[in-house]
Amino acid sequence: VTTDLELDGFLDDYFAECDEHLSDARRHLLSLEAALGSPGAERSAVDGLFRIFHSIKGISGMVELREAEQLAHEMESYLRALRQRELLLTAEGVDALIDGAQRLEQVVAARSREAAIPPIADLQSRLAALVPAARVAATAMTSGNAPVPPPASGLTFRVGFRPSRERADQSIGVDLIRRRIAEHGTILETIPHVGDDGSIEFVFVVTTTDVVGLESLRALHATVDRIGEAPAGAVVGSPPNDAPAPAQAERAPSSQYVRVELERLDQLMHGVGDLVISRARLSDSLARAEARVPASEWRAIQENAATIDRQLRTLREGIMRVRLVPIGEVFNRMPLVVRDLARSFGRRVDLQLEGQGTEIDKYLIERMMDPVLHLVRNAIAHGIETPEVRIAAGKTPQGTIQLSAATVGDRVTIEIADDGAGIDVERVLQTARAAGLPVSPGPPAGATLLALICAPGLSTRTESDRAAGRGVGMAVVKTAVEQLSGSLSVDTVPGQGTRFTIQLPITLAITDALITRVGTQTFAIPQGAVREVLEVDPALIRTVEQHEIVPHRQAALPLLRVARLFGIAAVPRDRLHVFVAGQDSATVGFAVDRIIGQREIVVRPIVDPLARVEGVSGATDLGDGRVVLILDPVALGRMARRPGIQARTSAGHSNET
Amino acid sequence: MTRILVVDDSATIRKMVRASLQELCPAEFAEAASGLEAIEQLAISKVSLLVLDLNMPDMHGIDVLRFVRQQPSLQRLPVVVLTTRGDDSSRIAAQQAGATAYLTKPFIPGKLAETVRGLLVGTPDAMGLR
Repeated sequence: VTTDLELDGFLDDYFAECDEHLSDARRHLLSLEAALGSPGAERSAVDGLFRIFHSIKGISGMVELREAEQLAHEMESYLRALRQRELLLTAEGVDALIDGAQRLEQVVAARSREAAIPPIADLQSRLAALVPAARVAATAMTSGNAPVPPPASGLTFRVGFRPSRERADQSIGVDLIRRRIAEHGTILETIPHVGDDGSIEFVFVVTTTDVVGLESLRALHATVDRIGEAPAGAVVGSPPNDAPAPAQAERAPSSQYVRVELERLDQLMHGVGDLVISRARLSDSLARAEARVPASEWRAIQENAATIDRQLRTLREGIMRVRLVPIGEVFNRMPLVVRDLARSFGRRVDLQLEGQGTEIDKYLIERMMDPVLHLVRNAIAHGIETPEVRIAAGKTPQGTIQLSAATVGDRVTIEIADDGAGIDVERVLQTARAAGLPVSPGPPAGATLLALICAPGLSTRTESDRAAGRGVGMAVVKTAVEQLSGSLSVDTVPGQGTRFTIQLPITLAITDALITRVGTQTFAIPQGAVREVLEVDPALIRTVEQHEIVPHRQAALPLLRVARLFGIAAVPRDRLHVFVAGQDSATVGFAVDRIIGQREIVVRPIVDPLARVEGVSGATDLGDGRVVLILDPVALGRMARRPGIQARTSAGHSNET
Repeated sequence: MTRILVVDDSATIRKMVRASLQELCPAEFAEAASGLEAIEQLAISKVSLLVLDLNMPDMHGIDVLRFVRQQPSLQRLPVVVLTTRGDDSSRIAAQQAGATAYLTKPFIPGKLAETVRGLLVGTPDAMGLR
């Protein structure tokens, strides 16, 4: 095909659309597998999949990605035969569709990376073999065969909507009405109806149990009238169905959305960041001018400044919200992964997802995919036992993996928990000793255990297994999480299971921070990382085994002096400020000379590897033009636990006192 | 002003159709992502030509076409059906339902533009009579 369109200009749209389709396809494929054997329940998944691969075929042809077009075509053909009830769905067929969808994803991904396109011939022939050749061409596509969703129990209503220019100008259109109806009920039928005067009315026949919700559509100029009760089984040939509702009920059509390149949002965020910095600068200039401004005028200036602050915060939060996407993007990929892995490891696994709607910055989502994937793989490969072992241990043969997400303040918690055998602590210790890692006496737990299993090169598996990596896996997970200013923790009970918890900031770009002074230097510490701020009398500091500690809440809090960590000449003071960070046994107090305030800061990551320093997560500008480093307490704590630094710490200590 | 309504559930295709037509067929463009939206647009605004996909969720293009032809005011509206190739039966269904032209995806941009221009020339819109 010769083309006079510049294809490059459409590729991003194409990839985004394929992503959407393939993610819908994954959901349908899972419900298809679950519905295998109950023809009625298969119906909506088959219809959804048919349309998805038909669409992918169409757009792939346009961007001249032949492999995707051809593969989607084979899948569509098989689905068409299923849809027209010429074939019965088989387990073999579901497998071919699942593998086909995965290959399709690989083909599209390869095109997007400009890599070699993987071959598709094997799947083409597998799919083609499922369809009896003679029937494909012969069957006619009938129009108007939009699937009728299964009847929901409840009352039947007629919802009418007359479109008009005025309503369209207020963004009230048929599409909005249809989506709102789908939120409150099941659409059985949609009829565009022409009145005697030639005007058009869209009539939806709807069953619902949420009458109040449906009646709320009157606010959108729709009429809502009851037309009867939906008798059970009124629609012929539709057996009871508990499969998920069709895709369009869940995903609003694309026309309501604008796709925006992440880069443009980044630019916008940068702009807001600059504004935050200018605002801080203005604050400083105002503070200097205060003495010279008459009180009456000063009040007006202050009020205006406060208004700008508030508006700036609203703007910043608004832009941040635009960048947030539901973590479902990561979670929804897991069911297929779990299915495949459980099969290849001979495990039976029930995956439970929770909190898919939890929102997190797009930048973070993209970087969380691999860590979460790895932890889920580990849970299957190392956590969940084989059915025989589980039965012998008095457990159910089927293991459970819970993947959940929740927002707490401005942080997101992701948990990956399994009810498997738990981490074999003894074996971890053996392997660690064999690898020459320093092992402290006593059974390791919490952060110590985590440090061991995340040590590069440590794996408790003797044979290299294909799924869970080769011992570098956990190290990569931990690094990835920490690079995103997050934290990782583990909790394991022998025989009962293991829980990994990842905590992440919702966004990285702008954050509240404590501003501190150390000697002549200023540092910023993200407030999310700080649990507590203390004022400490240096006389209370004790030195135990070359570590400084202060009594705090009936326990000893290990103390690190930021001045010593960075080799800054400290000014002796009669009061130290200490901020407490870290969890459990990794809780550390960081001593600084003074905490001078709290500010909104714009985080600029340090990209140049030559300028990157451990313990410093980025830089910011407080408004006076000077660059201030942002400290990363987690990395600082880790630095300090290493023997070399400790020696330096105590050496510095003895020199000073 | 000539106004072309592009109906397709794929945003990529809508964008490509517009890009293909822009040069040869100066017009104002409107888009609809579903059959229902297409009918809404036809009801509340003036449309000179319809580019219509067939396989769409919630209302099939053939049903949109049948609806269009039932409206006295829309009986002469040029409708270019643009559907993914492979369904030879839908060509007949589309013609029976009153399609003015039938093209398949992947489409050749120049051919689409020529077809649309050919249909627009001679319409009152294009001659500035309306």
